[in-house]
Amino acid sequence: MSTNAMNPIVRARNLSKQFGANKALDAINFEIEAGRIVGLIGPNGAGKTTALKAILGLTDFEGELSVLGFDPRSQRTQLMEQVCFIADVAVLPRWIRVSEAIEFVAGVHPRFSREKCNAFLAHTKLTSSMRVRELSKGMIVQLHLALVMAIDAKLLVLDEPTLGLDILYRKSFYESLLSDYFDENKTIIVTTHQVEEVEHILTDLMFIRDGKIVLDATMDQVGERYAEVMVNPDKADAARALKPLNERQIFGKSIFLFDGADRAQLAQLGELHKPSIADLFVATMKGTYA
Amino acid sequence: MSTVWNDSTPIYRQLRDRVVAMILDGVIKQGDPLPSVRQVAGDFQINPITVSKAYQELVDENLVEKRRGIGMYVSDGARDALLKSERERFLLEEWPALHARLGRLGLSLEQLIEAAKRGEKQ
Repeated sequence: MSTNAMNPIVRARNLSKQFGANKALDAINFEIEAGRIVGLIGPNGAGKTTALKAILGLTDFEGELSVLGFDPRSQRTQLMEQVCFIADVAVLPRWIRVSEAIEFVAGVHPRFSREKCNAFLAHTKLTSSMRVRELSKGMIVQLHLALVMAIDAKLLVLDEPTLGLDILYRKSFYESLLSDYFDENKTIIVTTHQVEEVEHILTDLMFIRDGKIVLDATMDQVGERYAEVMVNPDKADAARALKPLNERQIFGKSIFLFDGADRAQLAQLGELHKPSIADLFVATMKGTYA
Repeated sequence: MSTVWNDSTPIYRQLRDRVVAMILDGVIKQGDPLPSVRQVAGDFQINPITVSKAYQELVDENLVEKRRGIGMYVSDGARDALLKSERERFLLEEWPALHARLGRLGLSLEQLIEAAKRGEKQ
């Protein structure tokens, strides 16, 4: 869509942030269009949370950053009307009741719908008189999600939203997000270490490492660009000659990961597969902690 | 996750094939609505663009029709058209390889029919 391309939801130019001698963000450039679900994936300390904080106006930075057309540093109030955020740390006060949390958000946020929030909560075991301290971690995330999904915002930022949740809560978290919240007018940015569970949900993938964006592509482009080939030992040297990104062994065969290699040529070496995000991540981040 | 996608075919393609199989098996009939894009996206935990792409393929093949503002419906004659094209595809693409394999294994028509009958009884 040309209008979206002209007005990206987020646009960063030479975005930098330094903590002492450490460059948390090192002059990064990227754009995020409307209607996308973008995964910002990187090892611990790569700069993910700093990037999200800059987008939300929670930290200052150097360079240019525009979010929904606003400068997060100087127009945070306008920006916050259109942006929602779920952090990896619980920020709901322990003493607050479910009903009070709803009243509070209804009071401070002009785009919050009490009806929507209650409708989401009706699918959970939460009741309005419960206090946050009585809730399990999964229930707190459910409350948080209900509060956030009831806000008609253009951009939703999720920082490790399912951290520490069991598989049932994790699954239902993404299920509600996809069936009750997301549409082409909304945009989601999510960071997570659980890449397997967002693999098919994402429309775009960004890898961040040492404060730099090392991969920025749509999932379709990822599928076209990268290929994994399972090769028998007799053809392994031929495969190595094509300069794979990575090589690993399984059951006496070698699995090679290629970036941009000729598919017809690769097909002669063995069966072609689309690599998983996890495999791509491991190959791209090789040597990060060494 | 409960749904396993293979990684050699794009997911939208696999989703399209699933709907086709459901039409062929009569699980969804002509005139039946398809579940909404949101619903499928939520159920399978895949992004809505993938679902829309699969549905668009089905529309392009005239198997499904878009009714403005309501949703997607299985077209009249979808099953017959599918049977015809799937039979042609089988004979053209799958059968030669299968035939060659049967020849290599030295299996006769009688043996195959016998095995099929045994399978049906079980």
